[in-house]
Amino acid sequence: MLNIPLPLRLALVAGSLLFFLVLCVLLRHKKLSVQYSIIWLAAAVAMLLVAIFPVIIAVLGDLLQVEMPANLVFALLFVFVLLLLLSLSTIVTGFAERIKRLTQHQALLEERLRRLEAEKQSAEQAANAPAQEVASTQEKPGTGPASV
Amino acid sequence: MHNKQPKILIIIPCYNEEESIEAVIERLGTVFPQGDYLVVNDCSTDKSGAILSQKGYTHITLPVNLGIGGGVQSGYLYAVENGYDITVQMDGDGQHNPKYLADVIAPVANGTLDMCIGSRFITKEGFQSGVMRRFGIRFLSGLIRLLSGAKVKDVTSGFRACNRELTAYYAQNYAQDYPEPEAIISAVAGGYRVGEVPVVMDERLGGVSSISGVIKGAYFMVKVSLSLIVHRLLLTQKGKDSSC
Repeated sequence: MLNIPLPLRLALVAGSLLFFLVLCVLLRHKKLSVQYSIIWLAAAVAMLLVAIFPVIIAVLGDLLQVEMPANLVFALLFVFVLLLLLSLSTIVTGFAERIKRLTQHQALLEERLRRLEAEKQSAEQAANAPAQEVASTQEKPGTGPASV
Repeated sequence: MHNKQPKILIIIPCYNEEESIEAVIERLGTVFPQGDYLVVNDCSTDKSGAILSQKGYTHITLPVNLGIGGGVQSGYLYAVENGYDITVQMDGDGQHNPKYLADVIAPVANGTLDMCIGSRFITKEGFQSGVMRRFGIRFLSGLIRLLSGAKVKDVTSGFRACNRELTAYYAQNYAQDYPEPEAIISAVAGGYRVGEVPVVMDERLGGVSSISGVIKGAYFMVKVSLSLIVHRLLLTQKGKDSSC
């Protein structure tokens, strides 16, 4: 009942293999991390299996009582894309949180550095001019955790 | 804690406040000299940053814009690192008059509240904002009361004092955009006591509100309502945080 002409099947197999190859190249050149490649590798394997054994779709379609096997293929694809997009959203959320943390800590460190440099500078000034007692009181505004 | 004066940090978030920031800090210095302050320059694109450096005001500058939530949270992190007992948020646009700082701090300092919010709707004096905004705030206030039992009228007020424990909690958990109503829910869910005292707010000295226009207003309402509900549903485990 599920008759896929041979040329189409060959094209599907070739397509899946090509997809697989692209994945390998990306992985090799570190354009894709292993962590995120798993879902794509699984997709490539699934495509290959369906191309070689189209009966999988026929059996699944029978079980779920789908009238046209092609509709099942589209439905499965859609579910796959949906899950993929969801996983991307969670990944982006994680990145946003990390960027926020990095930004905050960078800003705090920058402030601390600025404060320490100013303290060092005023200490050096005091050391260079020990005769002048004014030097010690010559504290720049805003060098400490300021008293307003 | 009662034998010595608490160390107070006033956090002033600042995003493009070149018209008002200097006046705000100078007024703070004359009215409330007993506290330290920290301006959080959230990657301003105007002359705010230059004014802060030139005048030697204590400030941190975020290298990328995080929004009010991430900015204020940096202030809480700073407070934790530098051992402050009480932190107060105060806007950089001049809406919050520092003469009410003592009122807002008092319930936190004497231990009756963990967070005290300065509310413009108790005595209904001074700047009250527009009709639509007041309606939105009343809706959120009702929602917060429904979800957490907290009776807070001015839920979007950014004039609020927190004690040391809540400061540490917020340093780890704080919402990113429009965080004020969510902060109330997460504080109550975490078992902290939240209340408010009357203050009179002024019209802003410069800049624009972060919520202006119909679309932003609608987004604000939907986003905040949703996150309040999500918070209530999920935030039952106290102290659980995702930080490193």
